[in-house]
Amino acid sequence: MKNQFPLEGIRVADFSWFGAGPYVTRLLAAYGAEVIRIESNTKIDGMRWQAPRKPGVPETYNISGMYNNFNPGKLGITLNLNNPRGIEIARKLVSVSDIVLDNFIPGAMAKWGLTYEELVKINPDIIVATMPIMGVTGPYKLWRGFGTSVRTAAGIDYITGNPDRPPIGTGMAAFPDFTCNPYHTATAILSALHYRNKTGKGQFIEVAQVESTACWTETSILDYTVNGNIQGAMRNHLPHACPHGVYRCLGEDTEVDYCAMPESEPDHRKKDERWVAIAVFTDDEWQAFCRVVGNPAWTKSKKFTTFKSRKKNEDELDRLIEEWTVKRSAEKVMMLMQKAGVPAGVVNDGEDLQTRDPQLKERGFYVYLDHPETGRIAHDGLTFALSATPGEIRRAPLLGEHNEYVYREILGFSEDEVNQLITDGVLE
Amino acid sequence: MSNPKTNNTALGDLRVLDLAGPMGLYCTKQLADLGADVIKIEPPGGDPTRKIGPFYHNEIDPEKSLYWFHFNTNKKSVTLDIETDEGKEILKKLVKTADIVVETFPPGYLKKIGLGYAALKSINPKLIMTSITPFGQTGPYKDFKGSDLIGLATGGFLFICGWEDESPSRAGGSQAYNIASIHASTATLIALYHRDITGKGQHIDVSMQQCVAHSLQWVTQMYDLQKRIMVRSGRLGVPLQECKDGWANFIALFDWDLLVDWLKSGGGAADLDDDKFKDMDYQIRPEVRQHITEVTDAFTKSQSKQWVCEEGQNRGIIAIPFNNAKDVVENPQLVSRNFFAEVKHPELGKTFKYPGAPYRLAETPWKIRRRAPLIGEHNNEIYKKELGLTAGQVASLKKRKVI
Repeated sequence: MKNQFPLEGIRVADFSWFGAGPYVTRLLAAYGAEVIRIESNTKIDGMRWQAPRKPGVPETYNISGMYNNFNPGKLGITLNLNNPRGIEIARKLVSVSDIVLDNFIPGAMAKWGLTYEELVKINPDIIVATMPIMGVTGPYKLWRGFGTSVRTAAGIDYITGNPDRPPIGTGMAAFPDFTCNPYHTATAILSALHYRNKTGKGQFIEVAQVESTACWTETSILDYTVNGNIQGAMRNHLPHACPHGVYRCLGEDTEVDYCAMPESEPDHRKKDERWVAIAVFTDDEWQAFCRVVGNPAWTKSKKFTTFKSRKKNEDELDRLIEEWTVKRSAEKVMMLMQKAGVPAGVVNDGEDLQTRDPQLKERGFYVYLDHPETGRIAHDGLTFALSATPGEIRRAPLLGEHNEYVYREILGFSEDEVNQLITDGVLE
Repeated sequence: MSNPKTNNTALGDLRVLDLAGPMGLYCTKQLADLGADVIKIEPPGGDPTRKIGPFYHNEIDPEKSLYWFHFNTNKKSVTLDIETDEGKEILKKLVKTADIVVETFPPGYLKKIGLGYAALKSINPKLIMTSITPFGQTGPYKDFKGSDLIGLATGGFLFICGWEDESPSRAGGSQAYNIASIHASTATLIALYHRDITGKGQHIDVSMQQCVAHSLQWVTQMYDLQKRIMVRSGRLGVPLQECKDGWANFIALFDWDLLVDWLKSGGGAADLDDDKFKDMDYQIRPEVRQHITEVTDAFTKSQSKQWVCEEGQNRGIIAIPFNNAKDVVENPQLVSRNFFAEVKHPELGKTFKYPGAPYRLAETPWKIRRRAPLIGEHNNEIYKKELGLTAGQVASLKKRKVI
C-alpha cells in the first residue's frame, strides 16, 4: 500500500527566504510536510522579484520563475514580524508546528524573540534549525554572503577550473545554495525527527553554510593537515583517470539564445556549444576507447599505451581526442562510447535537459504545472524515487495565498479577528 | 565541536550495510557520523576506493589513502565476496538485523546474484534499501556508466561552469558524487521516518543525473520562461578583486555608497561616486564592470585579502576571501568555532585534523568516534561474536577467499 506523502502530519513554520532555506522546505513539502512560508509585504523575499520572468505576463510578486521552482507544495502567508501582534501570531504558529527554519543573519530571530530558548518554552519538542552563512558564533558571525561567496570561502573555488587564470570557481553557479547547504540541513532535520520519534525530544540545529560547504572539498583539507600539500585546480583532469576531459563536438545549425547572466542580452547564434565528457578509469576502458575512435596510429604510440605515459602526455592526448570528437555530434560520441563500455556523457545545456535528454524524459523528471498568473511552467522534479512513498511536486503559493486557511483553520481566528488583523497591518 | 558534552546520537539505533562506491560514500558517512553502526562490506583484499589518493606521506598503500580516511570515518569493515554462495548467505544473515542497505552497483546486478531488494525484503520486511546510480534504475541510459564528471555533464552543471573561451570546466571536490550522496541521505531518512510510523521498509532509486539537474539555480526557468540557454560566463558575474596575496570575492553592487566611502578613505573613488553607477542595469554592462574593477583593483592590490574582507565586511560590504586549504584550516572563524575534528590514527601514531561537523545538532551531536577502518578490521567482531562462526569456519572462509 502506498502512502504518497510520508511526512504528512509534520508542520513546518518556515521563516527562510531566498534559495538555501526554501530548498530545505521544498524537499519536506514534496514528501507531505505542511510547510507554511511566512512572508511579508514589508520585506519581500528577493526571489519573488528575481529574473527570469515570463515575457508578456503582468509583473507581480507571483511570477518569478525561481520563486515558483523553489517553493512548490508550500502554503504561503503574509505576516508582519515588526508588529508586536505579528510576533505573537508567529509564536502561536510555532506552538502548533514540529519544525522551525530560518536562514537570516544571526540575531534576526532574536530581535523578534523567536530564538530556540524562547520557542522551546511554548513547544517543548520543537526542532529549530537555523542556517547562518558563517555561524551563530565567532568573529565573522555577522559577515554577509551569497552561495557563491560560501563556495569561495570554503575552498571549493581554489580547487576548481584553470589554475593559470583568475579564480572564477564555478562562476555564477551558486550550487552550495541549491544542494550542499539545504540538503545537509534536511539531513540534520530528518535525523532529529527520527530521534524525536524515539525519545520525544526536539532540539536546536545550526548549519553554518561555510562549514557544510567546507565538508565538500573532498581530501583538500586532509591533504593539507596530513601532508602539508595545498591542492590546486586541475581543470578537468583527475589524478586516477586518463583521458578525463571535456571535448568539443560538432555544432548544430539550429539557432538559439545563449545567455551568460539572467539579465544580460542574449547571444543569438547557432547552437555551437556542443561538448562531451569522457572519463576513462581502467585499462579495459582505455582499450574500448581506442576501438571506438578506430584504433588510429597514435593510440599505439608509446606516449599513450600505459596509464603513466598517458598522464604525462595528457594535454596532447586531449587535443587528439578533440580532433576526433569535433567531427561528431555529442550525442553520437556518448552513444558510441557508452555502447563500448566507456563512461561518457553529453554536456547537457538547459534546452537539452528539458527537451532532448531521453533519460530525463523517460523518467519524467521535469514537472509542468499550471500557475494562476504565469500559466504552465516547468519545475525540477524529484531526484529520487521512493517505492512506497513517492511524494509529489505541487505548485508554489502566491504571496499570502493561504492566509485564510492558516489564520482561520490552523490558528483558529474568527473572520472578524482576521479582518481586524488586516486592518491593523499585522498581516502585511 | 571536537568534544560534545553528550553521547546521544540521532541514528545510534540503526545498523547500515555499506555496499557503496564513490557515488555513495558521503551518504553512508552522513549516517555513520550521526551515530549509525555502518558496516562497510569490502571485497577480500580491500575496497577499490582504497587505491584513490592522495596518500599519507604519498606512500601508496590501501591503509593510507586519505580518500578512504575522509569518507569512511566511524564505519566498521568486514571483507566478504558477495558473489560466492557462502558470501551471499553471510550477507543475508547480516541483512536480518540491518535497517538500511546503501549500494551503488549497476541496476540489476544485485538481483542477478540473488540479492535484489525483493530477496532481501523477504528476509527483513523493515529493510530500507537505497540504490544510487548515475542515471537511475529505469530508462534508456540505466545501464550506462557514470562518474563524477559524467554526472556533472549530463545533469547540466558542467555547461554553466568555466571560461567562455575554454571548454566547460568541472567543479573540484567531486561535486556530482557529493550531490548524489546527500540527496540519498535525505531519501533514506524520509524512508526511515515512514518506517518509524508504519514499520515498513522500501526501495529508493536515486539518480545522480537528476540530483545534479536540481542544483542549477536558474537554468530550468531561463529555458522554460524565455527559451534562453544559460552558458558559462567566465569572469562576468564573479566580482573578483586582486589583493596583495591572492583574490577576494567582492559583491558591492547593493551597497554602492558604502563602497564609494571606503574607496575615498583609501585613496580615491575616481568617478564611481556618480549616481549612474547605482543603477543595476548600468552597473552590469561588461564595459562598466571592467571600469569598476579597475578602480577597485587599484585599491585592493596593495592590501591582503584578509584585511580587505574584514574591513569590507565591517563596513557592510560583502567581501569574501578566496581561500585555499591552508586558509580554510587557519580561518579565524572556523578555528574559533572549533570546526575541525581531531581524529586519532593509532597505527600511524598520529592525530589528524579532519573537516568537522557539517551541521551542529545540540542534543545529538555529529561526532567522529574513530578513524576509518582497516581492511576487515571487524571480521572477528561481526563474524565470530555476532554471527557465531567458529575460528575454524572463519579460517576456512578466509582460505577460500570468501572473506
